[in-house]
This record gives sequence, C-alpha cells and structure tokens, in this order.
Amino acid sequence: MIDLGALHTQVRDILETGEVRAVVGWRRGSRGMLAEPVTIATPEEAETLVWDPTCFHNLSLTLVEERKKPSWRPGKPIAVVAKGCDARSLTVLMQENCFRRDEVYVIGVSCAGSGVLDERKLAQRLPGVEPDSAAFDGDAFVCATAGGEDRIPARELMADRCLECRDAHPKLNNVVFGEAQPRAFDPPFAALARFEQEQVGVAERWQFWQRQFERCIRCFACRSVCPMCYCEECVVDSINMAVGADTTAAEKANRIRWIERSASRADNIGYHMTRALHLAGRCIDCAECERVCPVNIPLRLLNNKLEREARVAFGYEPGASIDLPALVASFRDDDPNHFIR
Amino acid sequence: MSSGKRTGVFVCHCGNNIAATVDVVKVAQEMAGEEGVVCTKDYVYMCSDPGQKAVIEAIKENRLDSVVVTCCSPNLHEKTFRDNAKAAGLNSFTCEIANIREQCSWVHKDRGVATAKAIKISRSAVRRVGRNQALEPIAVGVTRRVLVIGGGIAGIQASLDLANAGLDVVLVEKQATLGGHMIQLSETFPTLDCSQCILSPKMVEVSRHPKITLMTYSEVQEVSGYVGNFKARILRKPTFVDPETCKLCDDCSQVCPVVVPNEYELGLTARRAIYIPFAQAMPASYTLDESACLGLNPIVCGKCKDVCEAGAINYDMRPRSEIVEVGAVVVATGFDLYGQDNLGEYGHGKYEDVLDGLQFERLCSASGPTKGKVLRPSDHSEPKDVVFIQCAGSRDPAQHCAWCSKICCMYTAKHASLYKHHVPDGRAWVFYIDIRSGGKGYEEFVQRTMENDEAIYLRGRVSRLYRENGKIRVLGTDTLSGQNVEIDADMVVLALAMQPSTGTAEAAKVLKIGRDKDGFLAEAHPKLKPVESVTAGIFLAGTAQGPKDIPETVAQASAAAAKVIGLLSQPQLSHAPTVARVRKAHCTGCEMCVDACPYDAIHLANGKAVVNDVLCEGCGACSATCLRAAIEVINATPLQMNEMIEAVLNF
Repeated sequence: MIDLGALHTQVRDILETGEVRAVVGWRRGSRGMLAEPVTIATPEEAETLVWDPTCFHNLSLTLVEERKKPSWRPGKPIAVVAKGCDARSLTVLMQENCFRRDEVYVIGVSCAGSGVLDERKLAQRLPGVEPDSAAFDGDAFVCATAGGEDRIPARELMADRCLECRDAHPKLNNVVFGEAQPRAFDPPFAALARFEQEQVGVAERWQFWQRQFERCIRCFACRSVCPMCYCEECVVDSINMAVGADTTAAEKANRIRWIERSASRADNIGYHMTRALHLAGRCIDCAECERVCPVNIPLRLLNNKLEREARVAFGYEPGASIDLPALVASFRDDDPNHFIR
Repeated sequence: MSSGKRTGVFVCHCGNNIAATVDVVKVAQEMAGEEGVVCTKDYVYMCSDPGQKAVIEAIKENRLDSVVVTCCSPNLHEKTFRDNAKAAGLNSFTCEIANIREQCSWVHKDRGVATAKAIKISRSAVRRVGRNQALEPIAVGVTRRVLVIGGGIAGIQASLDLANAGLDVVLVEKQATLGGHMIQLSETFPTLDCSQCILSPKMVEVSRHPKITLMTYSEVQEVSGYVGNFKARILRKPTFVDPETCKLCDDCSQVCPVVVPNEYELGLTARRAIYIPFAQAMPASYTLDESACLGLNPIVCGKCKDVCEAGAINYDMRPRSEIVEVGAVVVATGFDLYGQDNLGEYGHGKYEDVLDGLQFERLCSASGPTKGKVLRPSDHSEPKDVVFIQCAGSRDPAQHCAWCSKICCMYTAKHASLYKHHVPDGRAWVFYIDIRSGGKGYEEFVQRTMENDEAIYLRGRVSRLYRENGKIRVLGTDTLSGQNVEIDADMVVLALAMQPSTGTAEAAKVLKIGRDKDGFLAEAHPKLKPVESVTAGIFLAGTAQGPKDIPETVAQASAAAAKVIGLLSQPQLSHAPTVARVRKAHCTGCEMCVDACPYDAIHLANGKAVVNDVLCEGCGACSATCLRAAIEVINATPLQMNEMIEAVLNF
C-alpha cells in the first residue's frame, strides 16, 4: 500500500526546495468518488493530492499537453505521479525525444495490491448507485455509499488492463512509493485470447470490427486522451494542419485528405487502423482510449494485438527502457522475416 | 489534378512481351482521355532507335512538359527515356516510367485483367508525373583511392589491376600474410601447376607496388560516407615485431615455449606463439600472437625478445586505428569451409583420419607438414584406401547448404589424381551425386582421373562411417549397380561445402551491404551487375559473392577493378536529386527516421531531422517510418502517392 503521508511530504519537499517547478497528480474530484488530474505549484497544495482506485488517468498526457504549449521552456523538471503503466508511457515519450530524462521528475506509485477500477463494471455491479469513495483493501475494493459500505472482490471491479498488468511497479522513477510486487491476476493478452476464442474466423472478426467501427462518431476522444498522439498534425484528420515558416502555399493547397472528416464506416476503419499501426511498439496498454470512448469500442483489443505481435516476433516490450530502439525503425540481423516472405 | 499540363504517354509493345497480354492500343487510347495528356503513341519497341526518335520528336512537336513511358522496369530504360526527354529540351526528371511488363504483362495471363491493370498503372504514373519537380543532379567530388578488403587471390588481383591503372590502393588483410586460401593449395586443377608458385609472384608484386599500401593483420572496423567519398577506420593489430628490422632468423620461434595449432596447416602441425605463417609469407616478418603468448611481459617470459639480436621485438606495440579516405571499395573477403562440426554423420572432428579438402591439400603440398608425402595423421602410415566424399554439406537443403559449391567435383578429381600420383598402388574411391565439370579442360581432367589414374567413381552417398580396427568403415550405396558398398578406408576426405567466411559476414555489416539468403554478398543484379553491390561504390570479388574457382575469381576481381577504374576516372560523380526532404513544421525529432535510414543520411540538429543529400539514396524508408508525414522523398511525395492511389482506385 502507498503511504499517502510520505508522498505528501515528498511533494512538499521538492516544491519547497525548488527541485521541480510543479507536480502533476490527482486530487478529489468535484463529483462523487472520482479523482481528477491536477497540477500544483505550491508546497501548501501537497496535501490535496490523493491516491485511490479512481486514479485512472495516465498523467503523462498532462505533461505532453504542457510540452505542446508555446509557453513551454526547458528548465526545472516537472514532477508527475506515475503508476507502472504511466511510467512506461513516459519512457516511450523519452525514447522519442519528446522529453529529456532530466525534464521529468517521476514520483512512482506502485499498484502492487491495488489497481484501478473500471467505472463500467462498477455501474453494472451497483446499478443506480453512485459511491462517494472507493478504496483498496487487500483483495477487494471498498465502495462507500449512502447506505453503507460495499466490499467487492478486486477481480470483479478491476479494469481489464490491471487484471493483465504488465508491471505494476514503475521502473522509471526518481522516487517510488509502494512495493515492487507483481499485480496481475491474468497473463498478458488474456482478454485478447478470449476474444480470439470467441471470434474464430477472419470473416467473423472482420464483421465484429465493422460493427464496432460503424458506431464510431469520430469524436477523437481516443486520440485526445492518448499520450502517444502528440503529432502537430494528424494524418487522418483532414482539418487540423501544422503550418510553419517553411510551409509553402502549394503545401497548404494540397493538404492530402487521406480520410474524410465525417464519420462513415470505411473512413472510421481507416482512422482506427492507422492509429493502431502508429501505436505499434509505442502503446503501453494504459487503455485510456477504451475508457474514454463514448460508444464502447474495445480499442484495447486492437492495440493489444499489435503489442503481442511485436512481443512474439521481436521480443519487443514498449516502455521497457529509454534506450530501446523504436520498433518500426530498428533492424537486427536476427530479426525474423517470415511474415514478409 | 493541376490543369495546363502537357503530358505525353508512350506505350511500348516490347515485341510480344507486353502486347501478347496487354492491349497496348487500348492503353494508349485510354491515356489520351486523361486530363493533361495531349499526345499518346504506341510502338513495337519504344527503346529502339526509331522508338526513341519518335519520343523526342513528339516532345518537340506537341510542346510536352512531361513524359510517361509505359514499358519495362525503370531499372532498365528509365535512363534511356530521361536522356530522350533531356535531348528534347525537357528536364530529365519530368519523365517517369510506368512498369507494365514485370509488374503486369509477365505476371498475368488474362488479357482483360492485364489490360485493365496496365491502364491503372499508366494512369497513376500520369498523375504522379503531373506533380514532378524539375531537378538537377547533385555533383560530388571523388577520392581517387580504393580500399580492397581481403588479401586472397581476389583481393590481390583487384589491387594489382587498380594500382596498374594508376589508382592508389589500400589492401587490408585480417591475417598476418597475404595469400588467402589459394596459398594453402598444393596444385590447381586442371593443369596441376603449383598454387604457391603461381600466387607468390603476385604477392611479391603487391608488396613492392608503389601504389599499394598493404595493411596485414588489420581489420576494417567502420565505413562511412558514400560513393566517391568513403571514410574507413582500420584497426591495425600489433604484431609486436618490426618487419623492417626482422631478419627472419627464426631464433625467436625456436625459444618460444608456447605451442598452438598452426592455422595455415589447418591444425595438422603446430606453431609457436611467435611465428611466420609460411616461408613465402608477405610481408616477410614474424608475428607474435597475443592470444597465445604468455603475457608480453619480460617477467613472465620474454625469451623471444632476449634472443632477438636484431632487436625487432617490441612488447609495447598497441593496436591503433587509421582513417583512410577512399572513393570505392572492393570486398574480397572469401569463403570458409562449411563448419566441420556440422557433419557429425561423417565423423568429422572425431576421427583424425577424416580430413577436409584443405587439409588434404596440405598433405599433398611439398611445403606441407609431411613434405608432400600422403600420410595419414593417426599413425603416419601411407593410406592404401582413400574415400573421397563429394557434396559434404552441399546440395542438402534439408540439413545443410542448399547450394552447389561448384569447385568440389573438380578438386576431388584433382585430389584423387594427386593421391594416385603419390601412392600408385593405392585405391581412390569417390562418392558423388553427379559430376559437374563445366569449364575449359575440366571434363577432360575428370575423365583422365577416372581412366588414366583409375580412380573408382561410385554414384551415391555415404550413409555413415565409423572406426573399426584402425580403419574407417564407410557404408554407402552405389546407385548405378544398386549395391550397398562397404569400404575399409585408411583415410576419408570430405569435400566440404563452401560457405561465406566470417569475414564476409563482418564486412557486410560494416559496409551495410546486403547478403543473399545463403549469406553470400548480394550483387546488384544477378546478370547485369554481377560485381556491383547494392550500394553504389562498393564492388564484389571472389567467393564472398558465391562459390567459384580460381580463374573465375580472378576474372571477377579484374571486372570489379575495371568497374572501379571506370567510376573513379570521372572528374565528378552525379548523385540522384530525388532525396528525402524534411517538413520542419511536422518534425518532432523522435529520431525514428535516423534509425530507419540504411545509409546513415539523417541526423538531428536543433531537435529536427536533417538529411545529407549526397548520402541519401531516396529509398523512402524514412518516409514510411515517420508517423507524422514529416519527411518525404522528392518526386515521390505523399501527395503524389495519394494521387497514384486514387488513380488506381478509379477516383
């Protein structure tokens, strides 16, 4: 378990000494039990930070958003509270030179013995009830409601990605709270394997995905919440365009419309497939895309599929190390190439 | 599609190569209806002189501003038609090829399908050329010096040809002496002249040639740069002996207490830690093998240094790196015999009397461990029954090497013949799959071995051999008589497969040149560019490229030299301007393109990718890798790709 008091002390210290210019963490949200991301800059605010099973968000996104602001200046590091998965995404971002290691102060929190819960599972388990708080208690989540306390076994409420957690302990850290224990209930890719058992044939799977993508309303929430989607201009979005000093009039006029803006099944598939391919070797399974999807498209399956391919074919584990070469850009003599023969 | 274009489309029949499967007239008609196309023509051979003239005239008559020739692969005639465009007053980069032969007519049977596809391919080329930029080739200076890697017969021949043409040559050899495998051979087929006697004059010539810098006991560690301007870092390993002062008295090796297997004699004899590989070694000097020496330390041993009157031995020598700038590289890194341990079924490495071909060469050689007497290693007796097994490791895709090693039929015949000359009352048994003796005088040689020398040829394979009563029992089949054969042999010689040497694998890595599926160096085109590697300015010679015999190796080495001479005789080289270009506004500096670039042409400056135009080959690996479409190849931009795709999809 995390000693929240120790975390507060640490945050207060680094803000007081000026070791970092700000800290990104979670605080109690304004509605119900949910925590929400917050950036604090004064030692006094340290106490407002929380850590509970509703700290879903991958806070490296906040850092990426900060990085994209014109006001961003290299300087003192920003601290970020990071779970095991969040730390892996920070690692990928550093691998891609989005941040230098010394620009980020990682306050690691280990999910050993916890994990975050899945709001949808909770809504099904306690229909019509909105708990005031959720807490870890050994092998169960304790949800406080108006009518008392509900103790629900961890397995029933936990987010799928936490059930299959790759590594609950943030390897990349300046300081870490909690124990380095394995968390997972299931082996990696268990949900994917279940899906593959249910949808056996290629035709069936194609139908399944067509049904899924037909629902997409192209709100781009999955892209917006993804810390890896930090491009200046998205190749599958025909309206935003990055313009710089060297952008010619012809370039502006000839903006390629690979995919139309309006949601149609074919273009939705093009959008999601391109996004999945662009995440190959980069997605670290924070599953935020799936969490924020308003129409419940199981995007995690798609990303997991590519992650598993990379692991099986190349022994590649995204986010394992800053020094890892990029999956799609690296070549080793002993790489298998049977799949292109 | 931008309007106001004046594009001409020229459709080639290629005799029947295209016209038999593709309705070329229909392709031309369809193209006439494309926006911006003002002229179309079809002709039986567009690459013929009348065809080319027609292209030039049509460009002038119709005031064309761009040209599409729909014909064969751009590898063949892109240059022809770009030259035509230039001759007609256009920029040569406003001409593009639509390949409707290799990628269409040759791979389809159905005329309707093939024609529809040819139309799509042609249409996409028309759309692409509509957005082509006029470009000028990039001029690059040349360094008139050549790096030759490997000091065997291929490297020696290439170096001599290059140096005699007036070019400076740096010849790098890993071992302490020139000579390679050829110097280990006793006699050479089919003339049976002494290998050492014909090679050593060339070795001397290399060492004395004023244009050749010989670097033995050295390794190429890193090569950067591009055609005309390579930079190579060469590791000079210390020999601990100064070749200038060494008087070759052999006192040092007499007192050296360390005994290790002699590589030159393939382990049949031993040498000391300080040694000269063989009498004719070039450079003529001793080498102190650091890995075998007791410690390069007078306190530990120091006997060789004490005894050397000339004072040639210096324990303080250290490895040093040298940078050489060269305009071209010839790779002649040779072969190794197929790993002997791989052939457990033939008892290799287990029984001393089972030898490989090179060991048998040493046994036959007058300078060899037995002074030219064929004696078996186990008891130094004269073997009376010798079994030669061809295709040991070759032509066995299931377990070993799929390829034919090409020289084994001939050298086995030579071995059998030499053996019979040494031991006239002995019996030479040869197991073969079939005899491949193409080459001048080769078939006659094999016939002589069978008829005059009475070697017994058995068509079949050996299943197993094992030791029994001091002999090696060989179990095999003679498939011509259908009989099983058992021979009690005194000695067995395996004609092991030729495989790319470890040096070849290392050179491929250092030079970043491709290898084929078997690990031999890949030529740029199997027929038309057999001595060029896929990288401009790097050429191949000898068995590093594939199994071959000595005359072929020499011919290929001279061919590689001729190619280098042709390349370096130009005052300037021109580099294709279709290189990668960075869109700075989109680049996030993630470095994926830097990793993906096979030519090391991209680096990061101020957080953005920067392309070195002369290093870039325009392959597009960067563009395919970039998630942000921040890097594109000129005249193959994503916009052009998009339009080509739309053209193919009939949008």
